[in-house]
Amino acid sequence: MAERGVDQKEEKKSYGSVFVLGAGILAALSLWAFLDDNITRRPWKGFQAKFYRLDYNKAQAAYDEEDKKLQADDKYKELSQKLAAFQASLADGEVGKKLNSQIAEEARVTVKFQEADQKVKDVKSELEEAWYEHDHAVQQKRKIEPYLEVIAALDKKKAVLDKELEPIREKRNQLKDEIKKIQSGAKEIETELVKMTGERDKWIRVMENVTFKLGPFTFPKIPKIQQVSLDEFDRNRFDQPVARVDRCQTCHLAINRPGFEKEANPYKTHPRREVLLADSAHSPDKIGCTGCHEGQGMAVNGVKQAHGDVHLWEFPLLRGAKVQSSCTSCHQDVQKFAEDAPLLAEGQRLFEQVGCTGCHLVKGYENIPKIAPSLKKISAKVDPGWMVRWIENPHKFRQRTRMPNFDLKPDDALAVAAYIWSQSKEEADQWTQTHPAPAGFREGDPNDIAKGKKLVETIGCKGCHGFADGEFSTPLGKSKDLVPNLKDIAAKVVGPQWIYHWIKNPRGFEPETRMPSLRLSDDEALSITNYLMSLGGRPDPVAGIQEKLADAKNIKRGEVLVRKWGCFGCHDIKGMEKESRIGAELTTFGSKTVEELGFGNRTDVKHTWDDWTYFKLKTPRGYATERIEQLMPQFNLHDDDIKALRTLLGGFRERKVGQRYLADQGLRVQQVVEGRRLMQQYNCVGCHEIEKQGGFVRKYYQENVALAPPPLNGQGEKVQSSWFYSFLKSPTTLRPWLEIRMPTFGFSDEHTTQLVNYFNGLSKVEQPYHYIDDRKFPAENLEAAKILASAEYFNCFSCHVQGGKNPEGPKEGWAPDLAMARQRLNPNWIIKWLKDPQKIQPGAKMPSFYPGGPDNILGGKEDRQIEALRDYLMSIGRGAAPAAAAAPQVPAKAKPAK
Amino acid sequence: MNKFGSLVLAMSLVAAPAMAAYEGGDVKDGGSISGSVKFKGTAPAPKKLDVGKDKEVCGKTAKMDQSLIVEGGNLVNAVVTITDIKKGKKIELKKVQFDQNGCEYTPHVVAFPAGTTVEVINPDGILHNVHSYSKVNTAFNQAQPKFKKTLEVKIEKPEAVEVKCDVHGWMHGWLVATESPYVAVTDKSGSFKLDNVPAGSYTVEVWHEKLGKSTQKVTVKAKEDAKVTFEVAGK
Ligand SMILES: [Cu+2]
Repeated sequence: MAERGVDQKEEKKSYGSVFVLGAGILAALSLWAFLDDNITRRPWKGFQAKFYRLDYNKAQAAYDEEDKKLQADDKYKELSQKLAAFQASLADGEVGKKLNSQIAEEARVTVKFQEADQKVKDVKSELEEAWYEHDHAVQQKRKIEPYLEVIAALDKKKAVLDKELEPIREKRNQLKDEIKKIQSGAKEIETELVKMTGERDKWIRVMENVTFKLGPFTFPKIPKIQQVSLDEFDRNRFDQPVARVDRCQTCHLAINRPGFEKEANPYKTHPRREVLLADSAHSPDKIGCTGCHEGQGMAVNGVKQAHGDVHLWEFPLLRGAKVQSSCTSCHQDVQKFAEDAPLLAEGQRLFEQVGCTGCHLVKGYENIPKIAPSLKKISAKVDPGWMVRWIENPHKFRQRTRMPNFDLKPDDALAVAAYIWSQSKEEADQWTQTHPAPAGFREGDPNDIAKGKKLVETIGCKGCHGFADGEFSTPLGKSKDLVPNLKDIAAKVVGPQWIYHWIKNPRGFEPETRMPSLRLSDDEALSITNYLMSLGGRPDPVAGIQEKLADAKNIKRGEVLVRKWGCFGCHDIKGMEKESRIGAELTTFGSKTVEELGFGNRTDVKHTWDDWTYFKLKTPRGYATERIEQLMPQFNLHDDDIKALRTLLGGFRERKVGQRYLADQGLRVQQVVEGRRLMQQYNCVGCHEIEKQGGFVRKYYQENVALAPPPLNGQGEKVQSSWFYSFLKSPTTLRPWLEIRMPTFGFSDEHTTQLVNYFNGLSKVEQPYHYIDDRKFPAENLEAAKILASAEYFNCFSCHVQGGKNPEGPKEGWAPDLAMARQRLNPNWIIKWLKDPQKIQPGAKMPSFYPGGPDNILGGKEDRQIEALRDYLMSIGRGAAPAAAAAPQVPAKAKPAK
Repeated sequence: MNKFGSLVLAMSLVAAPAMAAYEGGDVKDGGSISGSVKFKGTAPAPKKLDVGKDKEVCGKTAKMDQSLIVEGGNLVNAVVTITDIKKGKKIELKKVQFDQNGCEYTPHVVAFPAGTTVEVINPDGILHNVHSYSKVNTAFNQAQPKFKKTLEVKIEKPEAVEVKCDVHGWMHGWLVATESPYVAVTDKSGSFKLDNVPAGSYTVEVWHEKLGKSTQKVTVKAKEDAKVTFEVAGK
C-alpha cells in the first residue's frame, strides 16, 4: 500500500556529506579570511611580532647579565639575606610576636584614651555653659558669684581629668612609634637594594612593555598601529592647514631607542640618535618621520607602499644623504649643520657663490649680489685680445674660474666683446686719464720683483689669492676658486698702470668690489705691481682687434647676444641695468615631478628627478633638441659639487610647514644667516677661523702660528660692539708684530652692522654695549691689581704692550696693548679669559695664572683678584681713542648690496 | 693660592687603558741593555741663541741651541726606549725635575714613564710660562710668576711633549713620557743603560727631537749586559 505524499526513497537519502563539505568550505574560507586579514594584508603585524620577540630577548639577556653581576656582588648578597631574615622573623618569629602584641596593646590603650578624652570634652562643654550663664547674669546685672563658684568647681574637675588623660596619650604615642619602628625596620635595606637592582630591574619593565598577562600566562603584546598625528603640519591645495599622519613607527619601532644600532632595518636605531632625534631635536613622537624622510606615511600594507615607491606617489622615501634636502623646510640656518648635513651646507655655499642666482630666482636668495666684477670700465683693465679669448672659453685660461663656458663661436665671442668694450670705453678712458702710469716704476727689476713677491706672501694677499698652480685659500667646492688665481695675471691685464691703481685702491676703480685695500704705500704698490707683471707672459697681440671691437655691426650683434646669454646676471654692464634674470625660477624646483622635466632626446638618463638634475648640472645643454635650445652654460663642476647642489635643489619645495614646527626663525637666526653670507662673500674665513672653520691662510704659518691672523671664534662675546663697528670700518693696528694686515674693506654702514650682528648672534650677546663708570672701581681693587700686574707678580707687561710702550724682546713675543682693553674688550669676557685662556682659545700664548694666584693679595681670594685685574684693565687707557690707520679714499657711493 | 701650588693637570680616566698594555712586576735574573748613540755626518757648529729679554737674569751665561748636540761624535739628549716590552720591572713613579734656571730648561730632555709628575722649578725670580705642545695629552699653558717657585705637571700618556716658554721665545725643552719604565736619555758621551730587563728579544728605539726615530733588535740574556750601538745620520 502506497502511502500518501511520502517518498520513502527521498526520506532515506542522507545529505550528511553535503553539509560536511559545506561546513568544510566555510571553515576553510573563514580561516583564509582570518589569515588574509591578519597576515597577508597586515604585514606590519608580522614586523611587530618579530620586534617584540627581539626586544624581549634582548631585555632578557640584559637582565640576566645584570643579575649575574648582582649575584657576584657580596654587598648585594648580604643585604638580601638581611632582608629575608627580617621578613621571616616578622612573619612568624620573635619580631612578629612582639609586633602583634604591640598592636593589640595599642588597640586597648586607644579605647582607654578615647574614654578619658570624652570625659574631658564633657567637662569642657559644661564649662562653656557655665560661662554663658555667667555672662548672661552680668548683662542682666544679677549677682555673679554663684556662677563663678560653679565655674571654679568645673575648672578643678577638668584639671583632674587632664592629668589622667596625659599619661594615656603618651603611652599610646609610644606604642604607635614602636609599631612603626618595627614595621619600617626593612625600609633602609629595601631602599639600598632598589638602588643596587635598578640597573637590572629596568629590563623587567622593558619585558612587561612587550607582553601582557592573562591569569598566570604571559603573551606577546597584540600588534597595534603606531601613529603620530601632526596637526596643521601641511597645507592643502587651498592653502588651508591640514594634519599629517605618520605610521612609520608601526614597523620602525626602535628608531628612537638606544641599543638597536646594530640591528637590521626596520628595527635599527636612527643614526646619531642622541643628536638628531632624542627628545630635544626631532622627537619622532612630536614631529613624525616623513617631515624629513618623505614616503607615504599613512600606508602600512607593504614596504613599497609605505616608502612611497609606488606609481604616482610624488614623495618617495629620501634615502641616505638625500634626506638633507629636507632641513631647509624648517631651518633657516643650515650652514651650522656642516657635520650632520654636509652636502646641504656645501650645496648652499656653492649655489650662492658659483653664481646660480645670477640667472635663477629663488625665494630667500634674491638679494645675493652679482658675483662677478663690473664691466663698466673693463676696457681700462684687460687686454682686448685676451677678452675675446676669455669669452670664447674662460676655462682655457683659468680652469678653476667660476665663470662658466658659454661655448660661443669665435665671431659671437668677438661680437659680445665688442659690445661690452664699446659700452665701457667712455668711463674707462676717463679713469685712465685721471690715473696715470706711476712714476718710478722699474719694470722687470729683479730686486723689486723679489720685494713684491715677499710683500704678497706676507701682508695678506694669499688670504684670498693663489699665485701658482693649485694654490688657493678658501675652497669653493672641489673644482672652483672663490678668488682668481693670479699665476698668469700679466697675460690678462692691459698693463702695470691698471694693476698699480687697482691694488692701491680697488674701490677707486670698482666701487662695489669685494677686493679690499691693504693700505699699500706707493713703494709697496710699485713692487707688487712689478711682481704681478712677472706672472705669466704678456698677451699675444691680435691684429686689428681694436677695429673689430669698434665695428658697429659687431657691437649691434653683441648687444643681442649679451641679452640672450644674460651676461648681466653676474656682471654690471652699462646699458643692461634693467634686465632681469634669464633662467627659470627654481623656488619650487625640488617639487617637480618627472613628468614636468624634459628629457629631450636623451635615452641614457633614468627617468627620475635625481638623474635629470644630475645630468642637467653635468651637461647643461644635454636635453636640447633640434627644436628646443638650451642656454645654460657649462660650469665644469666636480661630481661631488653637483651632488651637493642637487641636495640643496631638492629642498626647494612647494611646501609650507606649519609655524609651530619651524626651527627658531627669530631675528637672531636671521642675523646670523645674513651676516655669515656677507662674511663668506668678503671671504673673512680666508684669514680668520670663524665658527671653528676656515683660517685657511694659516697653512702658510705652520712654523709660527703666532704670526697668523687671530681666530675669531667667540668674537662677539669678546669685544664691545661699538669698538668692533669702528674697527671694521677702519682697522687699526692691534698686533704690531704681525706682518699680515687686516685690510680695509670699505664696508657700508649696513654691511658693518650686519657683520657685528653676525658675531653677536653667534655668541648670543644680549648686551652689546658697555658703559665704564670709573667711580665704580673700588680703590682697593685698583691698588691690588697694580701689584698683581707688576713684575713681582704676574709681570703682564713682560709681553703686553703698555699704552704704546713696547715690551722687551722680539716682536713675535708681544701681546696686545692693554690700554686698548677699555675701548675694545667686554669686561665680562676679561674675567672668563683670565680664568682659563686655553678654554677660550686653545693654543693661546697667554698662560693660565689661575688657579695659582698669590696668597697675600686681596686675602688670597682668586675671584676677587680676577675682578680687580678686570677693573684695572678697564681703568687704564682712559680717554685713549683708537687711532685710525690711514684709510684710502673710499667713494661715498658705496651702496648696500641689492 | 698655595694649595693649588702643586697644580696637577690630570686626565687619569683616559690614561688607564693606555697604560694597561705594560705589566710591571718582579724581574728575576734580569739582564741589561747598554750602549751608545753615534752621530753620522758633520756635527753642526754650536749656535748661540739671541737673548733679547730679561737680560740681567737670562743673559748671565751664553745660551746655546740645545736642539742638536754632538760631543766627539756622540749624540747627546737622545731618548732610548724598548718599544715592544709588555712585561718587566715595576713602574715606580718618582717626581722628576725640570729646571728653568737662567731661562733654560735643564735637562733639555727629560724622559720618564707616563704618569710621572714633573716638578718645574723657577729660581729666576721672573715670569716664565710652561706651554706644552701636546696632542695625545691635554695641552697646558701655565704661568709661573716669580712667587711660584715650583709648579707640578703630570704627563699621563706616552708622548714626546715639547715645552716652550712664550715669555722667552728661545726656551724650549722636551718631556718624554713612555709606556714602560725602560727609558734613558743619552749623556755627554752618548751612552745609556737600561737595566733589570727580563731575558728576551726586544726592539730598542732611539728618538731625537731633530733626527727622528731609528730602531734595532736586541736580545737580552739573563744576568748579562747586551751591548748595542746606534748610528743616527744627520739631516
Ligand atoms: Cu721663560
